[in-house]
Amino acid sequence: MLRTFAMIGMLLAALLLTVGCGGKKNVPVADNNAAAVVPAPVEEVVEEAPVSETPAPATNYATMSPQEYGIEDVYFAYDEYTLSAATMTTLTANAKIMKEHGDVVYLIEGHCDERGTVEYNLALGEKRAAAVRDYLANLGVKAGQLRVTSYGEERPFVSGGTEAAWAKNRRAHFARP
Amino acid sequence: MSHDITRRRIAGPVIALLLLLAAVVPAAAQDEYIMRADRSGAELTDILVQPPQVLAGGAEARAAAGTLDAVIRADLDYSGLFRLLTRDQVAGKAPPSHYRIDGVLEGLPTGGTASPALTLRLLSEPGGQELLAKRYQPGPDRLRATAHHFVEQVVRMLTDQPGISLSRVVFSRGSGDRRDIWCVDYDGEGLLRLTSNRTLNLFPSWSPDNKQIAFMSFRQGQQGTYVLEAATGTVRMVGETSGSNLGPSWHPGGQELVVALSKAGQPDIYRLGLDGHVIRRLTVAESIEVSPSWSPSGRDLVFTSDRTGSPQLYVMDADGTGSRRLTFEGKYNDSAEWSPRGDRIVYACREQEITQLMLIETGGENRRLLTDTSWRNCEDPSWAPDGRHVVFASDRTGVFKLYVLDVEDGSIRQLTKGGEPDTTPDWSQ
Repeated sequence: MLRTFAMIGMLLAALLLTVGCGGKKNVPVADNNAAAVVPAPVEEVVEEAPVSETPAPATNYATMSPQEYGIEDVYFAYDEYTLSAATMTTLTANAKIMKEHGDVVYLIEGHCDERGTVEYNLALGEKRAAAVRDYLANLGVKAGQLRVTSYGEERPFVSGGTEAAWAKNRRAHFARP
Repeated sequence: MSHDITRRRIAGPVIALLLLLAAVVPAAAQDEYIMRADRSGAELTDILVQPPQVLAGGAEARAAAGTLDAVIRADLDYSGLFRLLTRDQVAGKAPPSHYRIDGVLEGLPTGGTASPALTLRLLSEPGGQELLAKRYQPGPDRLRATAHHFVEQVVRMLTDQPGISLSRVVFSRGSGDRRDIWCVDYDGEGLLRLTSNRTLNLFPSWSPDNKQIAFMSFRQGQQGTYVLEAATGTVRMVGETSGSNLGPSWHPGGQELVVALSKAGQPDIYRLGLDGHVIRRLTVAESIEVSPSWSPSGRDLVFTSDRTGSPQLYVMDADGTGSRRLTFEGKYNDSAEWSPRGDRIVYACREQEITQLMLIETGGENRRLLTDTSWRNCEDPSWAPDGRHVVFASDRTGVFKLYVLDVEDGSIRQLTKGGEPDTTPDWSQ
């Protein structure tokens, strides 16, 4: 429940941030050398699923956040994408749940802490997500259930330049695609 | 007596401080320098800049002449190549040899065909030999561009090398997963937003002809490589592959990109046609291979690999063979870019929790630290066309903004302002 509240808080914060950025000052017009630049069409953003505090009685796992029914994120050491013993234990438990819901697709998001370069962290995040996917597949989770992506250091769970914050951000997060 | 002791005690530090200030003087508030090197001992070209003579048009034409004069001076100073002389310094009977810029503005710039003629000249003194004369019809909004153009001709004539005064920097602005591609003139003017799609857009890269910008975007939900036409803003997708599409970089020929794709499960380096077809896969490894950058000849490229357990720089031939390790010091070396002059590589080196800029020759010799830890993290360096200036992102103020370093004399200028993070810059060529 605490985690649910935390996630609602994060979503609200994200929403506020979005609203805050909405009043962006006018886009400058093209300067001397460039012709007018046509803004790209506005597209929807892939957001994490809204968390409903009281799930409907008829449980539909495909519309729930994986954390709501026991799927847990896993964490990594600095600049590492190897799986620790604790991570393997967590993934074994995750795999059991995933195999019980063989029609549910999971997006494994690789994340990094803020240290290091933007580009390398995107690659590192992908390696983390791929390592988790491969381990789950070895445990018998169907390949079609697992997708991977990387957000590098761009979507930290916790802000702040402390080891405690960094440790929480070096993770593979399970989301709905 | 006690006063003397106090004085003697502080004299050492004060002298040291004064020496330090003489070497690197903090910039005055009105210009963009953060650190300004003392260039008095450097080998510089002496030049006297005189504002264009105004023949008609009154106060507004005089203001236009003032703008031209100011931009020409700022451009010459920024180049790091010139010492700007004052009239007094050349007033004697036998003035030292130097160059001189003057001009004539025949009236008030109004735009369109009605604009009066402007002539700008470069002369050799003493003697007054005319080396360069350029005629312009600048509209009122083209004064800065006109001055930039003239200084570019001056630099090319006197150094036989490209200058930077017409160049621009593209970069990613924003935070979280809302980041757009922006563009700014090399002197911080002319800020322009190029994308607006409410997702993560990173790693913009100019084509060699400066007409297109390749970049990575999540605009269709996952990473993809896109190319934007600078003149129209039109965006097209280069190729669709799941997984990483990192750090597109142009081949010097302008007909292909080099990108890190994870087609095979982890990021490897591929040469891609502009229509997205794979020309050649350059690396085949279980490790991370990212951040490729071509040499100006197109014969080889530098990239990052963690095949030994930590990110290090490697150089390989254009066909992916002949891979050799470039960096052996430091446990985190990344974001390399090959100088347009071909002789050296700038990159980001992370040690003791801080990322700093480093310079190394292409054979691995003369590794040199370019920044210091007072600048906190310095990332994503990119060369100017002169092979002398480097733009990079630093969070010295707590938020990443762009700065320009003169790697020859250590001067640093601030390029972008404002509260939003600016990252992954690329300098036009």
